Amino acid sequence: MEKKNEQEYTEQSGQTSKANEDGLSILGRELIRDKVALISLILLIVVVAIVYGTSIIMDKDEIVKVDLFAIHEPPSDEFILGTDYGGRDIFGQLIIGTRNSLSVAFLVTLMTGLIGVIYGLVSGYYGGHVDNAMMRILDFFLILPFIMVVIVFVSIVPKYSVVSFSLIMTAFLWMGIARLIRSKALQERELDYAQASKTLGSSNIKIMFKQVLPNLSSLIIVTMTLNLAANIGLESGLSFLGFGFPESTPSLGTLVSYATNPTTLEDRWWIWVPASVMIFVLMLAVNNVGQALKRATDARQRRG
Amino acid sequence: MEKEKVLEVKNLQKFFKLGRNNTVKAVDDISFDINKGETFGLVGESGCGKSTTGRTIIRLHEATGGQVIFNHENVHGKKSKQDLLKLNRKMQMIFQDPSSSLNPKMTVMDIVAEGIDIHKLAKNEKDRKQRVENLLETVGLNREHATRFPHEFSGGQRQRIGIARALAVEPEFIIADEPISALDVSIQAQVVNLLKRLQRDYGLTFLFIAHDLSMVKYISDRIGVMYFGNMVELAESDELYKNPLHPYTKSLLSAIPLPDPDYERNRRRVAYDPAEHDTNEEPEFREVKPGHWVRCTTKEFEEYKKELKTK
Repeated sequence: MEKKNEQEYTEQSGQTSKANEDGLSILGRELIRDKVALISLILLIVVVAIVYGTSIIMDKDEIVKVDLFAIHEPPSDEFILGTDYGGRDIFGQLIIGTRNSLSVAFLVTLMTGLIGVIYGLVSGYYGGHVDNAMMRILDFFLILPFIMVVIVFVSIVPKYSVVSFSLIMTAFLWMGIARLIRSKALQERELDYAQASKTLGSSNIKIMFKQVLPNLSSLIIVTMTLNLAANIGLESGLSFLGFGFPESTPSLGTLVSYATNPTTLEDRWWIWVPASVMIFVLMLAVNNVGQALKRATDARQRRG
Repeated sequence: MEKEKVLEVKNLQKFFKLGRNNTVKAVDDISFDINKGETFGLVGESGCGKSTTGRTIIRLHEATGGQVIFNHENVHGKKSKQDLLKLNRKMQMIFQDPSSSLNPKMTVMDIVAEGIDIHKLAKNEKDRKQRVENLLETVGLNREHATRFPHEFSGGQRQRIGIARALAVEPEFIIADEPISALDVSIQAQVVNLLKRLQRDYGLTFLFIAHDLSMVKYISDRIGVMYFGNMVELAESDELYKNPLHPYTKSLLSAIPLPDPDYERNRRRVAYDPAEHDTNEEPEFREVKPGHWVRCTTKEFEEYKKELKTK
């Protein structure tokens, strides 16, 4: 009798399994179903590969060297995308600049992700007074004027690199993801599997990172992808305003900021158009991928 | 013959503070004992504090007051890590909702082996695998199921995995927190029979929390009835069914449906009105007859005694 019922169970479970599939495979299938997102992803991989690939071969010092005999040259065989007011090769700057901007965006996204996930997880998991205290500290960071602190940092520190610039951005950008993870951790810790783990004698650290964290993985992936797009834009914006990288370290933002000169804006399109298009393409592509991933986490919006 | 007490709950209280002047008395001063090898049923309506009692006993909640004594040791006293681990091994819990009680990101093997890993019960990887597979077969699953994920199973199967997980650390006492209320009726019987078999084979003691009286009667040796955080009646299950004394118990019993049209046509539900008690006197838990306790005032106490004699 019992054996027969077991048989029925297995048949039933075969039907339900599609609905509760593993999160990562759903993300993958959603990407394949959404052609725009798939093209975006391929484009993104190609751009990243080209940028990081060619920047290894390129001589950075050669590119940023001022050459007064080649000022404002339009695109030619020697300079594929022309030169700027210092006679510097725009194409080389575009490659190095994209690399710098992407590196900052990747670094910032990873670091904010790491800090935010740990902070949010601890705060949400323990809850109560711990949560209250940690959230007030977070609120303090939220009210600090981000742009102003960056301006002060830029004027105090004379020379800064990709890493130090990423650190200062990270210090003000981890709060969003921390809040998100906290709210989800608050939900997860009440679920019976976390309680069961506790009754078995697992330590809190173990429950947090081995039980709860894997269940937040799809949320973390989605948020970090969308954050990446935002961070590319943020870095470019800061550099455009002159509070990002200096000219000696080209980035997409510094290239676009040449367009503040009216003559450059009207007559020398080769200086700022490629960088603008690059920002546009990168942000759009990352956003498309992020949106597809986000849809995948919500069963009602899924296409695949 | 004096039976050996496994668990003694003495004046247990659990209050939840919701605001400055708002406290919910989820469990208010309840006491009962559970003997070795028996099944103690705890029934009552939704929100009366059954689950909170169970969770407080196993330390998922800190008790506000009172004591829980398990094997002559106070569960809520100050404890070293070793003592806590030992307690965790002896006392286990089966959860209500089989869909949330298993971590969806872990394989059945890892879920069941969690306790084995924590308490270092397996000598090596092979022993661990062997133990998990034996446990799965004990609860009526196949050993091939070990590599699958929880979502590949039906509710009844998941509940069996939950039972296997609790059994993995070789406990003496298991709190079953409404283990069958989320299941289909035909599968409820299977799970209850499984629990009964396990109790016979391993000499387990159960605290069985439920709101389905017919199921509780089937599995329990003694039954406690809870109402609004208080224990209102406690007796052996046959006694409780034959001679219910507290009006709330009578009301509960009158609500059990039977698959018999003649009986159903004549069945009268008894409504329970808490206002019928004399509110001038604080009721106490008194023993009306050996082993049969009722929460009552002195006047009601005499009436109940008389009622029992006439029967």
